[in-house]
Amino acid sequence: MNFPEDLRYAANHEWVKTDGSNVTMGISDYAQDALGDIVFVELPEVGRQVTVGEAFAEVESTKSVSDVYAPVSGRVTSANAALENTPELVNTDPYGDGWFVVIEATDLSELDSLMDVAAYRETAN
Amino acid sequence: MPVQYQSVLEEHAAVRSDVGMFDVSHLGRFEVVGAGSTDLLVRQLCNDIRKIDPGRAQYTMALNASGGVEDDIIVWRIDDERYWVMPNGTNFDEIASRFVAFAPDTVSITDLRVRSVLLAIQGPRAADVLESVLGMVPGRFRVRSGSFMGHDITAAGTGYTGEKGAEVYIDIAGAEALWEAFTTAGAKPAALGARDTLRLEMGYPLWGHDLDDETTPLEANLAWVVSWDHDFIGRDALEAQRGHLTKKLVSFTTEGRAIPREGYAVTTDTGHGTVTSGNFSPTLQHGIGMAFVSPPPGQGESLSIEIRGRQVAGAITSVPFLDR
Repeated sequence: MNFPEDLRYAANHEWVKTDGSNVTMGISDYAQDALGDIVFVELPEVGRQVTVGEAFAEVESTKSVSDVYAPVSGRVTSANAALENTPELVNTDPYGDGWFVVIEATDLSELDSLMDVAAYRETAN
Repeated sequence: MPVQYQSVLEEHAAVRSDVGMFDVSHLGRFEVVGAGSTDLLVRQLCNDIRKIDPGRAQYTMALNASGGVEDDIIVWRIDDERYWVMPNGTNFDEIASRFVAFAPDTVSITDLRVRSVLLAIQGPRAADVLESVLGMVPGRFRVRSGSFMGHDITAAGTGYTGEKGAEVYIDIAGAEALWEAFTTAGAKPAALGARDTLRLEMGYPLWGHDLDDETTPLEANLAWVVSWDHDFIGRDALEAQRGHLTKKLVSFTTEGRAIPREGYAVTTDTGHGTVTSGNFSPTLQHGIGMAFVSPPPGQGESLSIEIRGRQVAGAITSVPFLDR
């Protein structure tokens, strides 16, 4: 399983990548593998204010439906429109073309509780 | 059988466009043999087994006295007075004990599960695989016997996917070699997840979801499985219910990819109900489902499904969802 070194991970299997106050997020390789074939992703609208820990997106596979939680509070500035018709990108490229949204964070310290790759690898294994 | 070997969608696609293999050994199966077997089946099952000759298979159901579906069943008529009865795995004990209770002394009933494996080969290329491995291809709802590496086999042109193919019965001793041979011939192992999306695209009900012992075949749109030319357990209740249905199984599609899952609430212009089976159709690329609606909707009624707090429009349609 692939867990890039430069990302940080939440206990619910979201990953984040920060660039200044812009936080890009998606779900991890572990999560996509556990869900199986993903057939539907519902993302929040661009402009929506979200609160850390809020269930703000949904992922459906042929097996189940799961909530995805905001890793940080802020405003959604971008959402991956490609997932509307090709949600399988989350399976094939969870850290690349399968990204979910970008959030402009109001308080980056909220990310302090996330795991680095070593800690996450332990929980995922 | 697991939910998936590798991918539900890949396994589904293999069955729709090539050939897949399911280990369906979880299905119940018992033999009913001896003078009086036919009469026993005629009484116990709502379809009329006398409509098929030896060498044929039939879809039928065991009802309770209220007309509720205790199980839906495939019967292979091996010979005049020799039948293989195949209930759902979960209902085996109930159905087998019911047959035992009503069987005359001349009929013997044997559990076939412990000694056998059942493999389903399904897909447009199933005939090639069956021909190359078994040297024979049973026609649709035909039952044929043969052999594989010295083991007797019995195969029926049945399945649960809407594709061509067969279910093949073999002793446990030959099962592993048969699985290998089918795999080598190109059959892709497929599992429960794909089995469910495949059967749902055809509108085939699944007992415990779209059928149960409080639902009659008339309510489940399965009147075609009821043969009125004979007496069977549950018949009186069905006769009383004819023309007075208070609920009906309705099939519907949704436009988007959000899945109308089992248990979600459904509303029509005049009634309401609950989704009994629903999924994303890999072939059609949108949601499909079935729901019991009370009272049954009239012509042209609209339908909506509550998917996690949102009302999503559905369209009432007939099954199969997929032309086959």
